[in-house]
Amino acid sequence: MNTSGLIIKTSDLWKKYNIDEDGFALRGVNLEVKSGEILAIFGKSGSGKTTLLNLIAGLDKPTKGKIEIDGNDIEAIGERGRTELRRKKIGFVFQFFNLLPTLTALENVLFSLELIGNPDVKLALDALSSVGLSNKENRYPFELSGGEQQRVAIARAIVKKPSIILADEPTGNLDTATGEQVLNLLVSQCIQSGATLIMVSHAMNTCSFATRIINMVDGLLVEDRSSGDCGL
Amino acid sequence: MFKVQCPGLKDKLGFLKNQRKIWIFLFCFFLSFFYLSPLTLYPLLSHCYTSEWKQAIGKWVWEFPRDHGSHPEYKTEWWYFTGNLLDEKGKRYGYQLTFFRHSLKKSPEKTDKNQKSPWTVDDIYLGHFAITDIQNKKFWFTERTSRRGPGLAYAATDRMDIRLLNWNAIMKKNNIFIKARHQDMEIDFELTPIKNIVLHGADGLSMKGERQGQASYYYSLTRLETKGIIKTPLSNKAFKVKGLSWFDHEFGSNQLSPQQEGWDWFSLHLSDGRDLMIYILRKKDGTVEDASSGTLVEKDGSSRHLIRPFINIQILDRWQSTRSKGIYPNGWRIQIPSAQIDLTIYPLLAEQELITDSSTRIIYWEGAVEGKGTSKNRPITATGYIELTGYAGSLGGIF
Amino acid sequence: MKIVIKAFLRYLLRRRSLSILQLSGIACGVAAVIGMAISARSALYSFNEAIEFLRGKATHHIERPAGSMDEVTLMEIKDDPAVDFFSPVIDRRIRAGDGEVVRILGIDPFLDSAIRPEIVRTISKGQSPQENNALYDFLYEENAVLIDNNMAGQLGISSGNTINTNKGAVKVVGTFSNPSGEPLIIMDIGNAQKIFESTGKIDRIDLVLNDETGFRNRWDKGFKIESNKQRRENLTALLRAFKLNLQALSLLALFVGVFLIYNTAMFAVVSRRKDAGIMRGIGVRRSEVFFAFTTEIMLFGIAGGAIGSVFGYILSRILIDILGNTISDLYFFLRPIPLPWSWWNLIAGIALGCGASLLGGITPMIDLVKTEPVSALRGRIYQRTSKNTVKRLSVFGLMIISIGVFFLIFTSAHVYIGFAGTFIFLIGISLTTGLVLMGSIPLLRRFFSYLSGTIGKIAISNIWLNTNRTSIAVAAFMIALSMAIGLSSLIHSFRHSLIWWMNSQLRGDIYISTRSDVDVPLELYEELKNMPGIGGIDVYRNIQITFRDKPVHLTAIDSSVLQRYTNFSWLKGGSENWDPVKKGSVIISESFSRRFRIKEGDKVSIESAKGIVSLPVTGIFHDYSTEHGVIMMDRSTYIDLFNDRTINSLGIFIDVKGEQRQKIIEEVENMAHARGLPTSRQRQFHDRILAVFDNTFAITRSMRTLAIIVAFFGIAGALMTLFVERQQEFGIYRALGFSTKQVAVITLLEGIGMGLISFLMSIFTGSAIAYILIKVINLESFNWTIFFYFSLNPYITAFTTAILASIGASLYPLWKVYRLYPQMQIREE
Repeated sequence: MNTSGLIIKTSDLWKKYNIDEDGFALRGVNLEVKSGEILAIFGKSGSGKTTLLNLIAGLDKPTKGKIEIDGNDIEAIGERGRTELRRKKIGFVFQFFNLLPTLTALENVLFSLELIGNPDVKLALDALSSVGLSNKENRYPFELSGGEQQRVAIARAIVKKPSIILADEPTGNLDTATGEQVLNLLVSQCIQSGATLIMVSHAMNTCSFATRIINMVDGLLVEDRSSGDCGL
Repeated sequence: MFKVQCPGLKDKLGFLKNQRKIWIFLFCFFLSFFYLSPLTLYPLLSHCYTSEWKQAIGKWVWEFPRDHGSHPEYKTEWWYFTGNLLDEKGKRYGYQLTFFRHSLKKSPEKTDKNQKSPWTVDDIYLGHFAITDIQNKKFWFTERTSRRGPGLAYAATDRMDIRLLNWNAIMKKNNIFIKARHQDMEIDFELTPIKNIVLHGADGLSMKGERQGQASYYYSLTRLETKGIIKTPLSNKAFKVKGLSWFDHEFGSNQLSPQQEGWDWFSLHLSDGRDLMIYILRKKDGTVEDASSGTLVEKDGSSRHLIRPFINIQILDRWQSTRSKGIYPNGWRIQIPSAQIDLTIYPLLAEQELITDSSTRIIYWEGAVEGKGTSKNRPITATGYIELTGYAGSLGGIF
Repeated sequence: MKIVIKAFLRYLLRRRSLSILQLSGIACGVAAVIGMAISARSALYSFNEAIEFLRGKATHHIERPAGSMDEVTLMEIKDDPAVDFFSPVIDRRIRAGDGEVVRILGIDPFLDSAIRPEIVRTISKGQSPQENNALYDFLYEENAVLIDNNMAGQLGISSGNTINTNKGAVKVVGTFSNPSGEPLIIMDIGNAQKIFESTGKIDRIDLVLNDETGFRNRWDKGFKIESNKQRRENLTALLRAFKLNLQALSLLALFVGVFLIYNTAMFAVVSRRKDAGIMRGIGVRRSEVFFAFTTEIMLFGIAGGAIGSVFGYILSRILIDILGNTISDLYFFLRPIPLPWSWWNLIAGIALGCGASLLGGITPMIDLVKTEPVSALRGRIYQRTSKNTVKRLSVFGLMIISIGVFFLIFTSAHVYIGFAGTFIFLIGISLTTGLVLMGSIPLLRRFFSYLSGTIGKIAISNIWLNTNRTSIAVAAFMIALSMAIGLSSLIHSFRHSLIWWMNSQLRGDIYISTRSDVDVPLELYEELKNMPGIGGIDVYRNIQITFRDKPVHLTAIDSSVLQRYTNFSWLKGGSENWDPVKKGSVIISESFSRRFRIKEGDKVSIESAKGIVSLPVTGIFHDYSTEHGVIMMDRSTYIDLFNDRTINSLGIFIDVKGEQRQKIIEEVENMAHARGLPTSRQRQFHDRILAVFDNTFAITRSMRTLAIIVAFFGIAGALMTLFVERQQEFGIYRALGFSTKQVAVITLLEGIGMGLISFLMSIFTGSAIAYILIKVINLESFNWTIFFYFSLNPYITAFTTAILASIGASLYPLWKVYRLYPQMQIREE
């Protein structure tokens, strides 16, 4: 139970690049995110943003430090627990879409629902139409453009109404116009459902959507403000 | 010897009816039971024989001990021993040992001496060996065949000396010694004739049918005191027995006619010292061959030929074999008024049937019998052997 | 769950060619194992059936230690109380119709009906009594025979037809069914005696005894009495070496097969890491991923196993013929009956396919579920090659190698230990592959960059960087090449040793009747002895006897002739070793000496017609004529001990030279041919022996080919795996401006590089295997020394194979590169 209203909390998070080498991607990151926040993380390449996101999602293990989701140490709940989190609580939008290439758009979205035990085709179709892909549900990923794939990825993430959405460069491979559309979509969905959104991005326009902006440099959080310019 | 024209294929010579002869013919054609393979020699007899084989026609000048031996100029010959025995405890046994010589060749031409090897097949020798254990209701039978080979089988021509692998019958001085062993069955007897040789039919020419040549030369030693040892599959070792045996010797070159179905042959020792031999040949139409006959031997050794009208036989009972389904007579009333004989005879054991699985499927019954009745108005008992053929499949024309 | 599996299975359909490759990999592996197993079983089964059929119901048989026995013995046998049934037999060889050597039995059908009733029944049943002339013909026609159904079918004949044989024409009067693989002709014993000019003699008597001890007491002296069990053991012992060979090959097939399947399965798992990562990223449980993978593997295992078992069965039919020929050449004529299809084959194939697939897939699967999803997502293999791991593995490998060597040292205890040792040795070497790679990289890098510049360097580096993948492929290929080199070297050395031996021991100018079915009549020998120009005639007689319960050969020769004309290779001493032989001593072959641990000066006790005799050994010679061992004595000694004057063959040495010599040779040939005896000049004789030798190793050669095929798949698999896993690297290449052609060259060079490294390693390992095979395994299983003859051939063949196979293995990956490279992009920041 979370009395503090914090949905995500990291304490002194460190992550090494490689076993053999000495470089650190993260060097003691402390982050607290409240439920319903829309957070944008900025930083140069190599600053550790993606690493942080991966760690929060439980996709990777920290070298040192603790991560708590909803007050639960995700280390303690084991891989099973983390999988459950990703299944139900967390929706992840990958930078490179990562759609399953052998399933159609609809099936990719439906996959999410199947995992939570509610394979409602209508919900999936709704999700697709909400991202503007109503007529393309039977297309395979290789038959869709980059933007369309990204939108499918988003549909897949949001369709299960997760309490946290993690988006890694959601507009990284999209043109500005499409990017705006996608961001709009994401943010509005989140506000609607009250989900927490953490976006990692390069794009400047991301900042205008966020309620909170964080900068990362060399594996450390250096700035943390509530809104405004991205100030790269 | 007279010359007989070679019959056409259709006009096969009839077969002289004499119990042993036909039986032996049948005998020739199967090897079976236990491990013996069913070799059939019947088909060989279906070949028409040429006139070269001597026929049983006319008078035979008998000379003994020479005629106890083999007569190779005749196609077929056999020496036949049966007997009823008692062991030291009074238990009853029956035995039968037969040696048979038969030529497979179509004519008696012997092969060129140069080409000959001990393995050349001139004649083949067959044997039948059976033991009946009456108390335990058991009947065992085996047979074997061999060619002469290098000392495997042999029959002397100047005396009785017959060997078939490890079975033999040898006459020394006046006694006959017979020996046979097959796995658990074994006999080793000394037979002493109580009476002289008896010639059957007309001086030993025994007719089996109407035509000339349907005959064989046939004599017997009807009563032989027997002693020796026997071993059966049920006994752990050999034990002593004593009793009476009957010896037959026949030779000829003939064939059974297609109209004949089989025969019934009887050899009986009566307790008053008389011996009786009867041979009834049955035809397919149900009637009995006229040439059927018998011989009565008195206690002193004198003998009398009995023609068919003098012999009266009634079947009293029948028995069906579960194996062959054949129905055999299982009890007889034999009446020979002219000899004042009235007997009722029953087999000591019903199951004394010999089944062979050769292609000719010859099945016949041969077993120890006993009975009682009257002889010359005095009550007597009788023991002996009876042979019944043709009750489970006709034999006529098959061979 | 369903959708996870659906995603997986869809993948298989999309990547059809890959799936087919996987399926064929498994099918090949299963086919190799099943094929070998079935054919081995068939051959041995047929062998047993042949023995059983021939023996019929007999419990024992009696014969002279050598040569035929007098038929008068039958008279005593028939009366012996221990004998229930007996049947005299003439047992010879005859050449029928198409030149095939066939066993012919002369029997008495009346007596033999107790021993082999099914055969005798042939003459009596089938036709109605009136028409059955079969028995009559069989007994009275001098050349009447019965033949078995298989033979009848093969030659296309039936009752009434005639067959030509080397003993004249024979007339078939009946056919019998023969469940065994050995063709059989039956003749009446009298007739058989005639055609083999053996009147008055028989070869043996088959018996059914009721009292073995009693019988032996009475008959032991001067006779050899064998019970069925003994006979069967003897005959089986004959095949011992052969069986061993088969077992070794079966094991090899198993190893090869399992490896192939393992590799295929591993590749299947590895190529889907990314998808698995995605799924885990979106919340699929590890167990679900695991289960989906297992399902896929099992599907492949079942399908591949089923197909493989069918192919294996077909393969076995081919192998069976080869095996049958080998047994026929070396032991006795056998045409193995192929076993009918059994559904067990299918079950075994599926079990093997699934089992080995699971084995192969387990490790990457476990790895997959253990690692963090993020690494799977990145699409890169698990951590880069860790030098420490390589070093640790190599140390472990060296330990294993020493264990292997330890085993090899103790091969003399049992040859299986030798097999195990070799296997362990190979495994050990495989484990050090990484280290070898590490060590050879600098050299190869230089070589390759000399070949094709930077591209070459990149190719080699890639091999090193991805050791986890490449070293397995390199190791497998190395093993295959080493086996190929080892076996080839063995065969080569053996062949050379054989030729050397023939040239020293078999120096006759012309040989008469060296084939096992025909004997030489004494008169011919006498005639030839008197012929001018002939320097010496070796009179050869070979029989099989039992020594210390094992079959050995006893050979009688003319020691004076051999002393003068041949150059036996003695372990010690020279031709003076022959002198004591003339006086009754014996010499033994190396195999015999090693097998029974008998040395010069010892005595050997053998059972002769005179009872047991003890003969001093005065010399040991090298010999390859039989692995069972040879005791050689002078003919005079032999005749004295066994009263047997049979001559199996003659070797004729001619003193004169030039034209005269030719004339003499021709004259000898004419004399022999006039008596229907085959002749061979020295060249022909030697060639025939070599042909048998080559035939024997036919199956070894085919297994070698199999090993290569497997390795091919290994490399192909590795390359494909690498390709799949390093797609982002390709993106980099593309970004850097590498053309498709250049990237293709990199892939090709990686393939060739791996092949080359395998080959270089196999030079060492192959030579080691060759040494082990020649000096250890062969020595222990056959007990003879094979001299090591170095030949470059196996190495050249291995090199060519390596290069060709690696190029071939790269073809599919190359095709993929051409198709997909142009679309690849950099995936990582």
